[in-house]
Amino acid sequence: MKNLNEMRNVYVAGMGLIPWKVYDKEHYDFGSEALLNALNDAEMSWNEMQAAFCGSVYQGTGSGHQLIKEIGLTGLPIVNVENACSSGSSAFRLAYLMVAAEICDVAVAIGMEKMPKGPIPSTAFLPWELASGFNAQMANYANETIEYMEETGTTLEDFSRVTVKNRKNGALNPNARFQKPVTLEEVMASRVVATPLRLFHCCPLADGAAAVILCSEDKLKSKSRALTVAASVITSGVYGEGMMMSSTMASLKYPPKEGLVELSVRQAYEATGYGPEDMDVVQAYDTMASAEIWDIEKLGFCKKGEAAKLLKEGVFDIDGKIPLNTDGGLMSRGHPLGATGLGQICEIINQLRGEAGKRQVKDAKIGLAHAMGAGPNSSVTILKK
Amino acid sequence: MTIEKMTPIDEGFWTKPVNADEEIQLIGSKCSECGELFFPEKNKNWCIHCYKSALKKVLFSRKGKIATFSVVMQKPAGGFYHGGAPYCYGCIDIEDGIRIKSLISTDDYDSLKLGMDVELVIEKLWDDKDGNEVSTFKFKPV
Repeated sequence: MKNLNEMRNVYVAGMGLIPWKVYDKEHYDFGSEALLNALNDAEMSWNEMQAAFCGSVYQGTGSGHQLIKEIGLTGLPIVNVENACSSGSSAFRLAYLMVAAEICDVAVAIGMEKMPKGPIPSTAFLPWELASGFNAQMANYANETIEYMEETGTTLEDFSRVTVKNRKNGALNPNARFQKPVTLEEVMASRVVATPLRLFHCCPLADGAAAVILCSEDKLKSKSRALTVAASVITSGVYGEGMMMSSTMASLKYPPKEGLVELSVRQAYEATGYGPEDMDVVQAYDTMASAEIWDIEKLGFCKKGEAAKLLKEGVFDIDGKIPLNTDGGLMSRGHPLGATGLGQICEIINQLRGEAGKRQVKDAKIGLAHAMGAGPNSSVTILKK
Repeated sequence: MTIEKMTPIDEGFWTKPVNADEEIQLIGSKCSECGELFFPEKNKNWCIHCYKSALKKVLFSRKGKIATFSVVMQKPAGGFYHGGAPYCYGCIDIEDGIRIKSLISTDDYDSLKLGMDVELVIEKLWDDKDGNEVSTFKFKPV
């Protein structure tokens, strides 16, 4: 088995985003716009693409093919990737591996989703679990939240500060669904959806798409804006870890020595030689306000139970020591399932290129994006200048 | 309506006592190699912890403690759940050493607390279109 750092360097040639909102158009309409934006950004022509991986969850059979038909069929292999909320980052990893392993020189990753209305009808559950109402993902997060609160003493007000921070950042992101800040009082006064969590602790849905073109060094049109993919890792579930969102119950007899997120990020740190202290900007997984708090801890940026205090001190602000979810995260961007993981990576690209506008982190050279997915999956991407 | 006339949410989740002095228990699997417990009972003889074909049928204690819970204000999307809302579910740590995801039965959601002692009950979940009561297991504060 080859280590990631034994393969050739892979570069980000271009990225494409569109505003994430509620579209009247279909996924292939706005998804192909994101792809054209990426092509334009990479200064490449469509017939240079040698492989395409298209992440989505609800778009059905051949959804990536539908999208690419809007751009042109060239005979390139198109593979559709359904990996829940980490579909986009899974597509990225597959494109990365194709170039790293020298199977092709240019590959494109796409993530897109036109979301169904209302809370997510996740079917990643057994029939009796669905009949019991156990697929209420907000409640599954709420169950994990109450356990985390009991263990760490973190409060609902602490979680609410995640929403306040991310919505503040989202106000600086012209592609975010929500571009209006909220106050702590507004978050705390929003209606309860699943105790103890309230509406403003939950990320909104949105339609959206993102595309990233990866290539070998010799295919780069412009080296000045190019970034290197330092690591792209996915791990999918470890025995005995309870993740109700993915319908896995904690084993009381055999709890895992290392959790899923910890495993994936360790692999990424080992492949790059970096640690959390090297990251200039981070995109963590904030489906729920509480999830961002425990995610940043699991990614190794602080010890369990410390994140709420650091958040309050401003450590995770854009001008803080560990700028976190600088584009507003899922909380402001919205959550088009298949696009989310790739949208996170696009923000790291923006930041490292110095093209993040009003939300630019000073001198950002290395960044990390982390997406979870029901299954469970944990995907970690590290990019560097 | 008596329990015998109810339609269980899934056949084989709990015992069906013949005598009045017997109590209903949840049915699971235990690995005789590593001791790991599973609910519901595994339908193939394969331990997903130690990868041995050593599973035996086991009945669990009716008693446990609330490890996590959430009161859900609206029904989840998808149309799979036909029970009422708000409703409550969480994780119950059973005395035998297994965590089971379960609906929690109570008239007073505000009284629920982590660590609370609960006991197994069988209750109606909803009436199906033929007028039968669909029943399921829940845990209820003692």
